[in-house]
Amino acid sequence: MTKAYNALFESALEHHEVLDSKLKINVGMAICGEAAGSFEVMEAIRHEVIAQGLDAVVSEVGCLGLCYAEPLVDIQFPGKPRLFYGNVKPENLPSLKQIRVKGKNIPLATLGTPGLPGIPDLYDLPMMIRQVRIALRNVGHIDPTDLHQYIARGGYKALDTALTEMTPDEVIEQVKLSGLRGRGGAAFSTGTKWSFLKSSKASEKYILCNAEEGDPGAFNDKGILESDPHTLIEGMLLAGYATGANYGYVFIRHGHDGPIRRTQIAIEQAYKSGLLGKNILGTGFNFDAEMSLVGESYVSGEETALMEAIEGKRAMPRYRPPFPAAFGVWGKPSNINNIKTLAYIPEIISKGGNWFSEIGVGGSSGTAILCLSGNIKRPGMVEVPMGLTMRAVVEELGGGVPTGKVKFLQTGGPLGGVLGANKLGVKLDFKAMSDAGAILGSGGIIVANESVCAVDMTRLLVAFCQYESCGKCFPCRLGTTHLLEILERMCRFESIPSDMDLMQVVGKEMASASLCGHGQLGFNPVQSALDYFGQEFKIHIEEGRCQTGSCDINFITPTRTRR
Amino acid sequence: MVNQDRIRVVIDGTEVSVRPDAVVLEAAMEAGVYVPYLCYHPGMKPFAACRLCLVQEQVEVEVEREGGVVVEQQLRPATASCTLPVRDGMVIMTSTDNVRDLQHGVMDMLISEHPHGCLTCHRVELCGPQDICQRHVSVNDRCVTCPKNERCELKDSVRFLGMDLNSPLSYKTRGLDLQIADPFYDLDYNLCIVCGRCVRVCDEIRGDSAITFISRAGRSLVGTSRGTSLLQSGCEFCGACVDVCPVGALVEREHKWDKAVKVERTICPECPVGCQLNVEVNKREKLIRVIPEINAPANKGQACFKGKFGLEYVNHKEKLSQPLIRNQGELQAVSWDEALKYISEKLRLYKGEQFAAIASSSVTNESAYVFQKFARIAMNSNHVDTDANSRPSLTRALGKALGYPASTNPVWDLENSKCVMVIDANVTEEQNVVAVPIKKAVRARKTKLIVIDVREVELTHYADIWLQPRPFTTPYLLAGILRYVLDEGLADTPFIESKCEGFDDLYKSLERFTLEMVSGITGIEEDNISATAKLFATSGPSSIVYALDNIPDYLQEVNVNAITNLALVTGNIGKPFAGLYALQRGANQQGCLDVGCSPDLLPGYQKMDESPGQHAIQSVWGQRAPRMHGKNLRDILAGVKEGVIKSALLLGGKTNHWEEEFGESDEVLKKLDFLVVHDTFLGSVGKFADVVLPATTFAEEDGTYTNLERRIQILTKSIVSKKGNAQPAWSFISHLANEMNIPGFDYAHSSQIFEEIASVIPFYAGISHKRLIDESVVTLRPDPINPQPTQMLYSDRVSQGLQWPCFDLDDEGSIRLYQSGFPDHKALLFPLVLKLSPKPTNKEYPFLFIPGRVLAQWERDVEVIRIDGVNHIQREELLEVNPIDALDLTLNQGDPVEINGKGWHMSAAVFITERSYPGSVSMTTLFGEVATKAHLDTAKNARLDIHGLYIESVSVRKIDL
Repeated sequence: MTKAYNALFESALEHHEVLDSKLKINVGMAICGEAAGSFEVMEAIRHEVIAQGLDAVVSEVGCLGLCYAEPLVDIQFPGKPRLFYGNVKPENLPSLKQIRVKGKNIPLATLGTPGLPGIPDLYDLPMMIRQVRIALRNVGHIDPTDLHQYIARGGYKALDTALTEMTPDEVIEQVKLSGLRGRGGAAFSTGTKWSFLKSSKASEKYILCNAEEGDPGAFNDKGILESDPHTLIEGMLLAGYATGANYGYVFIRHGHDGPIRRTQIAIEQAYKSGLLGKNILGTGFNFDAEMSLVGESYVSGEETALMEAIEGKRAMPRYRPPFPAAFGVWGKPSNINNIKTLAYIPEIISKGGNWFSEIGVGGSSGTAILCLSGNIKRPGMVEVPMGLTMRAVVEELGGGVPTGKVKFLQTGGPLGGVLGANKLGVKLDFKAMSDAGAILGSGGIIVANESVCAVDMTRLLVAFCQYESCGKCFPCRLGTTHLLEILERMCRFESIPSDMDLMQVVGKEMASASLCGHGQLGFNPVQSALDYFGQEFKIHIEEGRCQTGSCDINFITPTRTRR
Repeated sequence: MVNQDRIRVVIDGTEVSVRPDAVVLEAAMEAGVYVPYLCYHPGMKPFAACRLCLVQEQVEVEVEREGGVVVEQQLRPATASCTLPVRDGMVIMTSTDNVRDLQHGVMDMLISEHPHGCLTCHRVELCGPQDICQRHVSVNDRCVTCPKNERCELKDSVRFLGMDLNSPLSYKTRGLDLQIADPFYDLDYNLCIVCGRCVRVCDEIRGDSAITFISRAGRSLVGTSRGTSLLQSGCEFCGACVDVCPVGALVEREHKWDKAVKVERTICPECPVGCQLNVEVNKREKLIRVIPEINAPANKGQACFKGKFGLEYVNHKEKLSQPLIRNQGELQAVSWDEALKYISEKLRLYKGEQFAAIASSSVTNESAYVFQKFARIAMNSNHVDTDANSRPSLTRALGKALGYPASTNPVWDLENSKCVMVIDANVTEEQNVVAVPIKKAVRARKTKLIVIDVREVELTHYADIWLQPRPFTTPYLLAGILRYVLDEGLADTPFIESKCEGFDDLYKSLERFTLEMVSGITGIEEDNISATAKLFATSGPSSIVYALDNIPDYLQEVNVNAITNLALVTGNIGKPFAGLYALQRGANQQGCLDVGCSPDLLPGYQKMDESPGQHAIQSVWGQRAPRMHGKNLRDILAGVKEGVIKSALLLGGKTNHWEEEFGESDEVLKKLDFLVVHDTFLGSVGKFADVVLPATTFAEEDGTYTNLERRIQILTKSIVSKKGNAQPAWSFISHLANEMNIPGFDYAHSSQIFEEIASVIPFYAGISHKRLIDESVVTLRPDPINPQPTQMLYSDRVSQGLQWPCFDLDDEGSIRLYQSGFPDHKALLFPLVLKLSPKPTNKEYPFLFIPGRVLAQWERDVEVIRIDGVNHIQREELLEVNPIDALDLTLNQGDPVEINGKGWHMSAAVFITERSYPGSVSMTTLFGEVATKAHLDTAKNARLDIHGLYIESVSVRKIDL
């Protein structure tokens, strides 16, 4: 252990002891909490604390994953278990004086022993019980703007260990042993990817962290950034050490103020504490990191478009080869990882690659970080071991649909297409998912019940793909446009039977000739909808009606169709 | 280049060897196999957008079959060949069913937004614009009404692919307005296929980024990067985007629908870069379009607004067609015979010191040679110079120090220089294509750029370091840089010791140029001087590009000496990517000097004394030139003023090169007793000349130019005027000499003259017209009937020209000078003797006005207004004034002022800033104004007359509201 790390750890513990002696109030202030009204709750609590003259530490925390229960307030009296109150409103604030288990304000869950009778432990909640939290180990538990709390929970220990006890090759070896595959969508082996960059002899190399996460229904990258940004920084540092890179970019769309602000603070703290910059922890390792903000562009999440965007250019994908490991950002060798991937790394290094590989199933080790939204009882962010079935995720964790039956799931972003209700038994596993015609992708799962029209949903997904096509390669630029025009015709019941074939022709062209994944997968939503719900399309064309009635309203979807 | 590095690829059964870093598309071209493409363009990085150039690779795969493993040939999925790197032994199929299907699919989608009604019509080549169409294709959607009809790559590709165009995809036009208010070219984005060639050439090659992609998906298109007009977006109107556009979206406005009957390769007459141009000529022998040659060594497919759009004067109906003689004050048309007889009679009276001859610097080598020979042996006068030679030291001082009075390296070496220093030169406007490799390299982060210029010229926006020395103090700054280089041990000592002479004297002369002293005189902070010295001396091979703009004549020689010294002490001479570039102005300034248009040097820079060179010339000429040195341009004018010189022969009446430096030269020339002008138009000088002779334009003659790289390139007679009797200079001078009974002027063709030039100039000895023509290589391998970018189509042969010195017929010329040492073994370092000049005081015009001009100033808003359908920039200009002067004049920020110069005045708003030196005021205007003016000039078929950026004395007065 380095002296520098030891000093950081000691001061973090000291800080922790001070905190423990006070009343701790944490308010969930991630996007989900803020949307549900946590600003007002926070203000009311601060007001109460002052009014009642309490010696309390009120902190903003990120998202615990129980988005359905936001605004979520977590109160801990000194020496007592933590109490989680869900759906708090300014008018029904929990008592800050004492623990009450009766009346209106019953805690949702507790954490710590002894618990409270009649109140479940946090990890026994139906949404939590099957979760295994590795990347999400700290979310909702620590103040993302407080480096001490991260370190007190073992943060930066893995970095310290790697820098002092492991060679870069050993780090890569552990990552390879873990079987970790990229969580951004392509599921490429992370260790192998790192070894590509390691083998480059260039003096200037980059680690890029992709937090663009433009998929509708995906919010776990932003969730990690606004709940536990230091995990990412530690992951980047480890990636940098392993591959010999000394620069890092965290790439995120502008406007996500919470994640951006907290990551920015975390980077500044890391610089101040000697965890970034020159001679990190006194070991001679140098690493600089900064955030790179981009305008609204879905395609900028594509790795080469992302590099163009970092360079300040229009986010349009480059051709490959050369691959990023040879010619990346600024023309220098680069490695690009998703946030979720990097968030696993500190734990993999601390506990060993073997430990990680034992979680999950063969070929897909570790956990899946999923975002549940749509027609579901308990929307939120969960981390479950690979191999769990979709049904378990949707029905046990998510609580199923509130009304009617599940009609389909939309997984892995718009390009992932849909998964019919008959495929709910599919396991969370890269191979099983792709066999079922879907992708795990970024982990977003949107649940739809029977009130949703498959044609209309397809039109929406294609409208998204079309709107977000960067306009570079002809098959994607024109193919998505024609697909959307055809689908709009269908939804207006102006379509003719040959349109079904026409979509296939356009789709095949896009899949075979497009430059990047956006165009290559752009037909997926249509193809998968046709596979599961071909009959509905037929009814729209031949009978001119929509069973659910959702096609009869005017479109308000933004599109960039031809003028 | 090296053969053993090449690798083998099999394309459709043809084996071909290619560079290891080639892509499959290039290999296919090499193999003569055509692969259709729309976004790729040679010379630019691949873009991989159109997805037409698909190919399939055939690979051997082991497959398990009954009875064991067998090897099978399999085709891999189709990939774009423009980005597929070649591998040794690769087997490529370019026209499989799968590939063709996908290509048809892309094309179907593409023409769903491009008018295509004519494409499947059997009458496509027969139909006229106004014909009644039985297929009901509307006039706007017809190919025949598209100005690019003859060269449309989209149309050609559709036909190459043999498509029947029965796709059920719905067709929709964009319905956008045509953009026709900006200068020079029309934009019809209804025809755009968004291949991005224009955006990429503007960004990647030109470094301007004036246009960009706008919007996305179905609405993605090309537009300006700022504002709505190209005048606002930093466009330099080079026309590179027009040249690469595969469809009719971007087209030249003049002669928009004219069809070419022939295309000829010639050399641009506008500046010394020597751009090879392909000129399209229509059936009425008019030059209708200019397409820069893509395989040309000096310009690599680029040109500038002058070369691309400014040559319209060639077609002017007011070109002189007959000789004119002044009779009782009026010019009257006469025959050549009469004119020559008249001139010969008159000139007999002015032989010797009374006669002066001034050649236009855009005449050919042949004309210039015959011209000076005429002056010397027919008129017995050495008063010979060129009209652009107002700065004789520019190359002459180079010659004294190094051996040859010429730039050392080729222009495109600049792209690989590690550091480029540009000194007092307005490159982007005056030698435009020299700026292209600089901007390209800076934008690609390959090169550091230092600009030394008090004016804000375009390149300052690309500079890593921009030093603004006080007006007229550049040589002091260079001396300071030199001393710092030597003091800090940044010099290339082995180079100095082995290859230079005079170091001690130089070092002694630098003693007083301490950082402090230099900083005091130039106004540049000491840190910036040292940083500049370090950057230049330590970056690696570095180049210096210089003109002598605004350097007073008494400092010009020492300024060039300082530049040469800097290059020598840092060892940046005689190697690749380390060059000295003297930026002349006239297109053939170098050649004119080479062949002897110089008052004190004979052809080949031979001295007039009893040297062997002089004897050689004497034996060819049969007579020797006068011994006395003649007067140069400046002294000739003085001589005319004094009445010593009474008669003159002028080639080209375009005196704008010298007026700026010599003042009212027209008024001076009026004093001449007898003035003969040979010009294309009746210009300002012609209006008072005694005889005006009609001159051919560059497009109507053959001959050679020598560019600033010492490259001799051949001009082609592209236009044959049906009427008119214009003659090139060499032709009428020969006749005149014959009329005067002077022997030695029996020339039937310009190539004969060049043979004589080669016989008297040793470093031209290996060059001949025949060699220049014969050594051009045929390059176009794919069948020219296939769809090609226009630039590829026209580049059927590559002509490198020959760079002197080229001593014999086996000599391939010298790409770079001094690579194997200096002609006199050592280069000379000249001590820098600099006298502080008294500050000129002028009570009437107390301020120095420093003009600047750039493509764009992003920090300021620009308004564009439309007058008579033409866009003009309208904005209030800012006059930068030092706070001290502002105090004196009681000016406040934003006050309106009037600036008065000699013969002009303008108003502006005051911007008080420390950036301006006390006693000087500066103003930076936008190039867009020049572009609009140039556009209006060309619309009138007039020659472009771009006002240079000269420092002048002005007065500044507050306007009281």
